[in-house]
This record gives sequence, structure tokens and C-alpha cells, in this order.
Amino acid sequence: MSRFFSNKRLILLMLGVILLVALISYSLRDRDNVSFPEQIIKDTVGAGQSLFSGPAHFVTGIFDNVDSLLNTYKENQHLKGRLEEFAAVKAEVTDLRSENDQLKEIVGKEADLRDYNPIQATVIARNPDQWEEKVILNKGESDGVMENMAVMTAQGLIGKVTLVTATTSTVELISTQNPNYRVSSMVIGGEEGVFGLIEGYDAERRELLLKRIDAQIELEVGQQVVSSGLGGIFPKGLIIGEITEITIDEFGLTKLAYVKPSADFTLLNHVMIADREMPETKGEDEGVATEEEGS
Amino acid sequence: MIRYLLPLIALVLFFLEPVFGLFSPLQLDGVYYYIVPRFLLMFLIFVTVYYDAKHAMFYGLFFGLLYDVFFIDIIGLYSFLYPMMCLIAGYIVKSVHRNLIVATLLTLVLTALFEFVLYLFFSFIALASMPVDVFLTSRLLPTMIANSLFLVMLGWAFKSVIVARLIERENSKV
Repeated sequence: MSRFFSNKRLILLMLGVILLVALISYSLRDRDNVSFPEQIIKDTVGAGQSLFSGPAHFVTGIFDNVDSLLNTYKENQHLKGRLEEFAAVKAEVTDLRSENDQLKEIVGKEADLRDYNPIQATVIARNPDQWEEKVILNKGESDGVMENMAVMTAQGLIGKVTLVTATTSTVELISTQNPNYRVSSMVIGGEEGVFGLIEGYDAERRELLLKRIDAQIELEVGQQVVSSGLGGIFPKGLIIGEITEITIDEFGLTKLAYVKPSADFTLLNHVMIADREMPETKGEDEGVATEEEGS
Repeated sequence: MIRYLLPLIALVLFFLEPVFGLFSPLQLDGVYYYIVPRFLLMFLIFVTVYYDAKHAMFYGLFFGLLYDVFFIDIIGLYSFLYPMMCLIAGYIVKSVHRNLIVATLLTLVLTALFEFVLYLFFSFIALASMPVDVFLTSRLLPTMIANSLFLVMLGWAFKSVIVARLIERENSKV
């Protein structure tokens, strides 16, 4: 033992620990920008990682294909049943859309919170230690990705961009434990939208918490929750999930609803980054942004 | 040319970890199991056991830094823990007999320790709020099972590559 902890080694160890604490506290602060060396490392590792994730996605794609081939008959039956319904809905949508356009023209409203430019991206890595819910995408600043943009799959919202370098971007998933992660959202299905905030994630139930809903408002299980676009960053109308349970929050003042996310976070492959057409405010969705607007 | 093989293997394992990470969490009967690939750490401990601790710690520092910057944005966590694990392994291996079974067991114990230290750290900075029993059943156990499978399959390959490098080094000295 005495040889292991000789003086020189002990000093080195102490220095190491001090350096470690300093570095960790530096990087745990809320940083707006990534420092230059970090950018270089991220881009280089990202390029290498793309080489490996490409074949991996190819292999999982084959398994997916085999899997869907085995389910073809059952799915076909199901889809046939839905087809007639679909035609009617489609006609209605076209009708409503053109009506909406006409009405907008009459009012003279051009920009809409709903409009966004999708940027297609591929997931090149998922944080392997899985303590923080993060994935890394192969698109970055050079493709027009900016911090805080919404990220989604075809099924719904999955997260937002937290860090951007030239060719990669880091996405924090909506299933994070981070308390500062909020999405301004609304419940549709009633007469008018009911507004609330997605704030927090119940890891055991694997459901999101929709908080700060007015206690007077009646909600129903099964109603859909979408992003409201009022937070200043996310476009309006991105599907988040479906209400599964409604309770009163811990202070008894507002309602709290459990929302089952419609997107699947487990096997992410191709995602879409939503670049909102309306000017975005700085800061987090429903975070600093509202304060800036108010002052 | 075996000289460059060790860093190359480490690099490939570093890139393979997140690829395997994409398959996790695994859902069985409505319960989610997290499997964390720790290929690089296991390889580094093997390098410590069969080659020397200094090289392993240097690789650990380098890849730990990459890991910190690229994945978790907390600089200093992996770049401290990887060399730390190699140091402990180097200390233990002095007093035990080196063979494949001992090396495998030592690696698995240290990997479990590594996971547990990380769990403590993330609980400490309040990123994870997971009771210890849930951590043991849903994370540590499946992770250890998957990693021991990997190690049992590839441990002998690691060993033979590292020993080949060792022999090459001895020859070049002479």
C-alpha cells in the first residue's frame, strides 16, 4: 500500500482530482456555445461515427424489412379496412385546406406558426451510457440547423437541438430528466385548444407530464397533445402524444395530465429537424423567451 | 505492424459502442432493460493486464476525452474514470496470476464498478433519479450479461493480439 501511494503519486492524484472537479464544474454550467476545440473534436468524431452508423442502419433496415414482410397479411387486412375512411378524410382535408388558404388571403395573414422547413437528418449515434437522453445527428450549422430547433420523426416530436457544430448536432430527447426542458403545448379535441406545458418525464410510466392546465377545464383521456408554437421556437401542431390520465398537480392549483408520447424513442434512425419559418425568439421554448418578449 | 493494431482496435471499439447503443433500451414484457456497451473499457483493462498500465491509461485518457466531448458534454468524467480503472487493474494484476479467466473476471468486476461509479455520479448531479434496486435490475444486470457475452466471445482475440504486440516489442528491443 505504501508503495502504491508514494508521495509523487499522491500529489499527481490530488492534482488530477482538482483538475477533474474544475473541468466538470466548467462543463456543467449552462453553456451557450461549444468551445472551438470541442467543435473540432465533435466534427471529427462525428465524421468517423457516420462511417460506422451507415452499415448499422443498413443491417437494422434488413431486419425491419423481414419483420414487416412477416406481418404483411395482417397489416394488409387492417389497412384495407382503413382505406375507405382514408379517402373520405383526404377529401375533407383538401377541402378544408383550400378553405383555410382562402380565408387567410381574405384576412391578409401570410406567415403561420405552423409553417416550417424540414431538414432531413440521420441519427449517427446515441449516447451509449444512456444516462442522459441524447442522440447525435449528421446535420449541423452548415445545413441550417440552429440551437433549440424541434426534432421529430414521422410519428411525432422527439426532442430539440441543444448543441450545434459545423456538421453535427446534439439532440436532447423529450424523455430527459432535465428540469429546464419545457415544451409549450396544447390539447386539441375540445372546442378550442387548451394550453399547458410539457414539463418533465415519468421514467417509470414512460410518459410525459403536461402541467399548468387551468383547473376549470375539463379534459378527457385520449385527447391529442400537440406543440402550440407559442413558446417561440417550435412550430405549431407537431404531435406530441395522447393523454392517458388526468390528476391534480402537487399544489392542487392546476391540472396535470400524463401524456403517452406518440413517437418511439428506442430505435431512432431518420429524423426531421423543423426550421420554423416565422422568426424564432432566442432562448428556450417557454424559457427566457417569454421574459424577453415581456420586457 | 502490430504496433498500430492496439490503437486501431480501441478506435473501432470506440465507434462500435454507440452503434450497439442504438439497440437499447430493450423491451421485454413491458419492462425496459438498458444495455450499455463497454467494449473499450474492457479492451483497455485487457491491455493493462497483458501489456502495460501506462499505455492503457494513455489510451484511456485520449478516448475518455473524446467520449466526454462527443457524447456527454461533461469534460473530465470518462477521461478520469478510464485511466482510473486501468490504474486499479494494474495494481491488482501485480498480485494475481495472469490467465484468461482471471483477466475476464477482473474486467467484469471493474466494469460493474465503473457502472456503479457513473450511477453515483449522475445521481449526485441529479440527472438520474433511479432507486438502487431499479438500477441493479434494469441496468447493471443486463449490461453485465451482454458485456460478459462479448468478452467471452472476443477475450481470447484481445489476448492474442496484445500478446503478439508484446512479443514484437520484446524482439525489437533485442
